[in-house]
Amino acid sequence: MSYLSISHITKQFGDTVVVDDFNLDIEKGEFVSFLGPSGCGKTTTLRMVAGFEIPTSGKILLDGADITNKAPNQRNVGMIFQSYALFPNMTVAQNIGFGLSVRKESKELIAQRVDEMISLINLEKHAHKYPYQLSGGQQQRVSLARALAIHPQVLLLDEPLSALDAKIRISLRAEIRAIQRKLGITAIFVTHDQEEALSISDRIVVMNSGLMEQVGTPFEIYNFPTTVFSANFVGTLNNASAEVVNPAKSLIAINGVQFESAVDLKGRKKGDKVRVAIRPERLSFASEQKKANVVDAVIENITFLGSVVRIQIKIGDTKFNMDTFNNPFLELPKIGSKEQVTCSREAVLVLDE
Amino acid sequence: MTNLPVPATVMVKRPATKNRLGSFLIFLVVSLYFLVPLAATFYWSLRGEKDVLGFEAYRKLFADTNFLPAFSESILNAVATIVLSLIIVVPTAYWVTLRLPKLRPIVEFITLLPFVIPAIVLVFGIIRLYSRPPLLLTATYDSSRFLLICVYVALSFPYMFRAVDNGLRAIDVRTLTEAAQSLGASWPTILFKVIFPNLRVALLSGALLTFAIVIGELTIALYMAQHTLGPYMANLTRSKVYEPSAMAIVAFAITWAAMGIIDFVGRGASRRAQMADTD
Repeated sequence: MSYLSISHITKQFGDTVVVDDFNLDIEKGEFVSFLGPSGCGKTTTLRMVAGFEIPTSGKILLDGADITNKAPNQRNVGMIFQSYALFPNMTVAQNIGFGLSVRKESKELIAQRVDEMISLINLEKHAHKYPYQLSGGQQQRVSLARALAIHPQVLLLDEPLSALDAKIRISLRAEIRAIQRKLGITAIFVTHDQEEALSISDRIVVMNSGLMEQVGTPFEIYNFPTTVFSANFVGTLNNASAEVVNPAKSLIAINGVQFESAVDLKGRKKGDKVRVAIRPERLSFASEQKKANVVDAVIENITFLGSVVRIQIKIGDTKFNMDTFNNPFLELPKIGSKEQVTCSREAVLVLDE
Repeated sequence: MTNLPVPATVMVKRPATKNRLGSFLIFLVVSLYFLVPLAATFYWSLRGEKDVLGFEAYRKLFADTNFLPAFSESILNAVATIVLSLIIVVPTAYWVTLRLPKLRPIVEFITLLPFVIPAIVLVFGIIRLYSRPPLLLTATYDSSRFLLICVYVALSFPYMFRAVDNGLRAIDVRTLTEAAQSLGASWPTILFKVIFPNLRVALLSGALLTFAIVIGELTIALYMAQHTLGPYMANLTRSKVYEPSAMAIVAFAITWAAMGIIDFVGRGASRRAQMADTD
């Protein structure tokens, strides 16, 4: 039996279904991210685990105990908020010790645990400072220490990095992941940032309009999206309507241009409408290396993105993006020139229309 | 050599001197408007003794056997009003912010009613309502005093609610409450250890404004036959020459002391906020 079981939970506000039949089992020590756009239900789901919202239907089991209707202060769940939510009237040490003091722990134990937590987040010199005297990154680390001090069974992180600048965000997410691994704590991380989710998670739940679109490892989610939404939301993607040409050979055509896919299309009929997705980095110039699919393309535009150069091409009547790594010796084609581009069969993903 | 265009920011001259002079003139006029009557009142209050400037009027005022009872009664009324007002307003504002934000316009409207109902209308309405059974509260001096305090509580609503509501908005009460809950805190712990300490300035502002209103209130206290500072001052004006001015200066000093405390406490909070912003 899994450690945290979110079983068929639905949440309605009036007539609006915010979370619809969410079903997920999380193992102890696992780091799971809920990824999706604003309003997809990811935060509501997290808040149901925290106890701030009660599901309209469904069950939440934590280590075998039903916590669905338990008050938040009865759950032993640590929560980290986007806005840090440190108590402004308390010092760093008092903030970290707050959860233990409300549990009526002894002063010695509180002091010891606070010291432990402060050294865990490397803020020894700031123990007696107030939140307003700390930077955003430091405040969020205190918030993490405060949530961990109570030995929570699950750590919930509600977009904890969104208010921080890019550099701090990257270093703090690595720090959060390292601490989570070190303590072996089960964690749920809510984010709308796909890069964040891909970099930090054991598993990702892609959500859209209250529904689970796909659950999988970051590798699976990125390389093998199962829905159009999932494919579009995670990473950059070329996607186009296509028609099945030869199911036995997995041949499809995008506006008359044929591609061969590795996806088994035997269950489909000739003429079926499908959606095809190809990651920009899976396309390359055929002059470099020829793969299963070689097609003619016209270069429409070239955009320099730092480490990557994005080339907009037109294959038949369909526009595609093609990414290539930047290097000082890169020879780029001229805009308007005709080139041959190629991609492997595996790069051609076929999704339901 | 080509002439480089001069940046627009260099070319634009700020009419600083003119602006400064205008500001100074406005400041001067407003200062005179407030200070001249105050200075005149103070000067008048010092003329209690013939041909000598001194504090005779103040001495007589404090020596008056009716002054201190009226003063202490007003202070006690003010303290009771503040306590009752806090008990009603803080949980209401907290709950409206946290759970019933849709009710905010209605609550705001109710709390603003004392601004639109004249004191004279209010007092006659109250006397009419509470002068007969089953709500007979004007029969004795003490019950009338209790009624007076209740009216003052209502009068304090616009100030108290606004101050508390602003304080609650400034601290992101919802997230702090949820953070405390997730750490295992109960409602009383959340209120007394997290919310109240962070509303210190707001509560103090509301309390001191209420204090200032109650101390100087005349109309309602007069019609409810209460021996508070307002009616005492009115009587004093009728019978004495210099003491009313001394009384006005004392009341003014109390109000300014109250404002000073708000400013002193508030300055600490705004400095903290500033430091957090520049962080």
